[in-house]
Amino acid sequence: MKGRLKRTRRAQYILAYVLAGLVMMYASYSLPRWLPGDFVTAMYSSSHVTLNAEQERGLKAYYTQRQGFGRYLTDFFTLHWGYSYAFLTPISELISEALPWTLLLLGTAHLLSMIFGFLAGVEAAWHRGGVIEKLGVGSMTVAEGIPEIGTGVLLLLLFALHLGWLPAAGGETAYGNHAAGPWILDVARHLALPLATLVLAYLPGNFLLARGSMVMVLKEQFIETARAKGLPSLRIRYAHAARNALLPMVTRFGLRIAFMVTGALVVETIYAYPGLGTLLFNAIAMRDLPLIQGIVLFSSLMVLFINLALEFVYGWIDPRVKHAS
Amino acid sequence: MIKKWMRVFLFLTPVALLWVLPGVAQAQIQEIRIADSKGDWGFPNPFRHYPRGPGYIRMSWVFDTLVWKDQKGYVPALADSWSYDPANMAFTFNLNPKARWHDLQPLTAQDVVFTVKYFKKHPYAWITVDDVSRAEAPEPHTVVIYLSKPYSPFISDIGGTMPILPKHIWESVDDPEGYNDPKAFIGSGPYRFIDFNKAQGTYLYEAFRQYYQGSPKADRLIYVRSGQPLVSLSNRQVDLANIQPEMAEPLKKRGLVVIQDERGWNKKLMINHKKAPFSDKRFRHALALAIDRQEIIDKSHRGFAMPASYGLLSVDHEMYNPYTPSYPFNPEKARALIESMGYHKGADGVYEKDGQALKVQLLASNITVAGQSMADRDGEVIKRQLEQVGIRVDLVNLEQATTDSRVKNWSFDLAVSGHGGICGDPRILNEMISSKYGAGSVNSARYDDDAELNRLIDEQMLEMDQDKRKALVYKIQEVYAEDLPAISLYYPDSMAAYNPDKGIAWYYTRGGISKGIPIPQNKMSLIEKRGK
Repeated sequence: MKGRLKRTRRAQYILAYVLAGLVMMYASYSLPRWLPGDFVTAMYSSSHVTLNAEQERGLKAYYTQRQGFGRYLTDFFTLHWGYSYAFLTPISELISEALPWTLLLLGTAHLLSMIFGFLAGVEAAWHRGGVIEKLGVGSMTVAEGIPEIGTGVLLLLLFALHLGWLPAAGGETAYGNHAAGPWILDVARHLALPLATLVLAYLPGNFLLARGSMVMVLKEQFIETARAKGLPSLRIRYAHAARNALLPMVTRFGLRIAFMVTGALVVETIYAYPGLGTLLFNAIAMRDLPLIQGIVLFSSLMVLFINLALEFVYGWIDPRVKHAS
Repeated sequence: MIKKWMRVFLFLTPVALLWVLPGVAQAQIQEIRIADSKGDWGFPNPFRHYPRGPGYIRMSWVFDTLVWKDQKGYVPALADSWSYDPANMAFTFNLNPKARWHDLQPLTAQDVVFTVKYFKKHPYAWITVDDVSRAEAPEPHTVVIYLSKPYSPFISDIGGTMPILPKHIWESVDDPEGYNDPKAFIGSGPYRFIDFNKAQGTYLYEAFRQYYQGSPKADRLIYVRSGQPLVSLSNRQVDLANIQPEMAEPLKKRGLVVIQDERGWNKKLMINHKKAPFSDKRFRHALALAIDRQEIIDKSHRGFAMPASYGLLSVDHEMYNPYTPSYPFNPEKARALIESMGYHKGADGVYEKDGQALKVQLLASNITVAGQSMADRDGEVIKRQLEQVGIRVDLVNLEQATTDSRVKNWSFDLAVSGHGGICGDPRILNEMISSKYGAGSVNSARYDDDAELNRLIDEQMLEMDQDKRKALVYKIQEVYAEDLPAISLYYPDSMAAYNPDKGIAWYYTRGGISKGIPIPQNKMSLIEKRGK
């Protein structure tokens, strides 16, 4: 009886995700079509080629999708994601070329800002009322208000233009012919400035969130009990308190990662960092409909997938969630 | 003893350096890096590059044309010499017998004949071969191209723009846009195409040592995407990039060479002349008189621009008509013209007619020279100037493709726009004026109401005599500036900077590369010409 109930719940659960997936696919299929303008006009607008009426008709006929939603779904499941109008290249190839760079930049930025923000937040809450805590909260609140574009340009001017220590653009030295070791170093040097910009943008939020959650947890009775038992301070701080403050951090991490396509658009643009954000931005500017659909679909499915993954992670971090469900 | 040796060493070192350095300057350059802010411009072959200047330039390293241009004018490329026979309406080109394809097959007249036929079947948007009746190869290195009717831009548009394709590769290709084989990039240009990284917007080319005009000076040519080309230039990550004019002085101080183009790109005000009150020539004149172009230049561009000719063709063009009608800033005259149309000032200072306020919508635009973009400030200045005259302006900032789409569909009143090519072949007048030639362009006025103008632009395409053509082009500028279906505003200063340490002297091409591309990446800069 209990097993059947569990199976029914699981089926309902999966059905909800499948339905959400279908809605997202329909949205990614139909929304880009509502964009004003078309590929031929966008591509030839500031061109040295002036089309006459006949040429324009021919090109528009070539670059117009007349694919129904059913066909779109079939193509999606058979992995025929189509060709980009501008690149005349398979969309899956374009996404897979850009994705590793986005993952590298955003994944590292989120991970670093979460780890350091969390640790600093926990420590600040533990030392609540102290000078360091007050300074930390003050400076992080100010830092939270500085937009990425400001930090990005400042770092660029200082480290790339003025000091000349770090490269100003790209994900690696193009065609540098480096061996594995120097190549990693080269990628790291190119990553440094965009990564620092993003970490500086994300860290304050993580710090403030971790500190806030931790302050609430520290007021709980089980912390009093732990203290009364004479447990070491480090154990109370991390094993008892911090673990309970972790849940909102994980939610934040998941949501941020889900928005990775657009999350780093500004930073990708400042540093000409290759990634999905730049790819989508250019695709929209050129009305490259199949590519827009591909990236929008990919990123919306990513939101679903991360939500699903978070469900499991919650249960693992906080057993109360599992029991509640 | 040691001191003595030290002295000898110290004396000999500069001497040795002096002896070695000229050799270093002459040595082969390992690589040249060029930056731009967009990065991807499509694959560098005729069917896959983007239809914009930077796309054509990336293709031009790989594919050669019959003739080419340098800073002075036309120079031989695949054709050593050429002539025109008016009686037969035929151009004869004598090809360079040393020319080879990148797979080392010889390039012959048959390849040119094939290319013309191929482009007739699979059109290449940059050229029109409609007026070419046929091409023949009487000798292995002589090709004759016959016209069905005179076509005055032939040397510019076909001779200097049509990339020659290798027959042995393309004769079996029926879907050129979908042809994605390494062989699709075999050309006869100075560089072989090696890679295009679409995510990073980078290109790699390698020198083609058997190039018929001489060995390329750099082993590798690399294009990179840079969000801030200026910073990349400053810290020597790249060797050449376009720059904002404000940055010229700081870059010169850092040892870079700054070059400035002739005025080949104009910002202009598009007017929806199909609807009232814009359909009335008096109102268009009033707009021109109400706009103080120098103020736009001073406030919006810190003085780095020059007012444009109302006749569209650049003041640097050899066929520019200095007697083109002009409209010096005169708000009083503008008001008088508007009042002559039956408008009178309302209580709020805005003109009215039949109870309706004179209200126009102005679309702003971020485009600027060489395919780049910059935040629009022109719209704000124009809005204020027109409002001072008594026209209420609703300024709308839209994303570029949306603006273009609205202009294209005549769903606008006024729009700030811009385009290049005004220093290239005067055919640009036809394309930017008439819907017969420029129906597909968002920059074309698509103005067909003046029978005389229509006749003149048709005639200039048929006039093979340069002097007679010049007279027609003069007249076109006069009539166009009088009708004023669009208002040319100004020529923004167009500059680039390069690192002179590599020993390459980059330059802007006279009239722009090919059909007027204002980018200083002329392949001839990288060729060490062989003596004949």
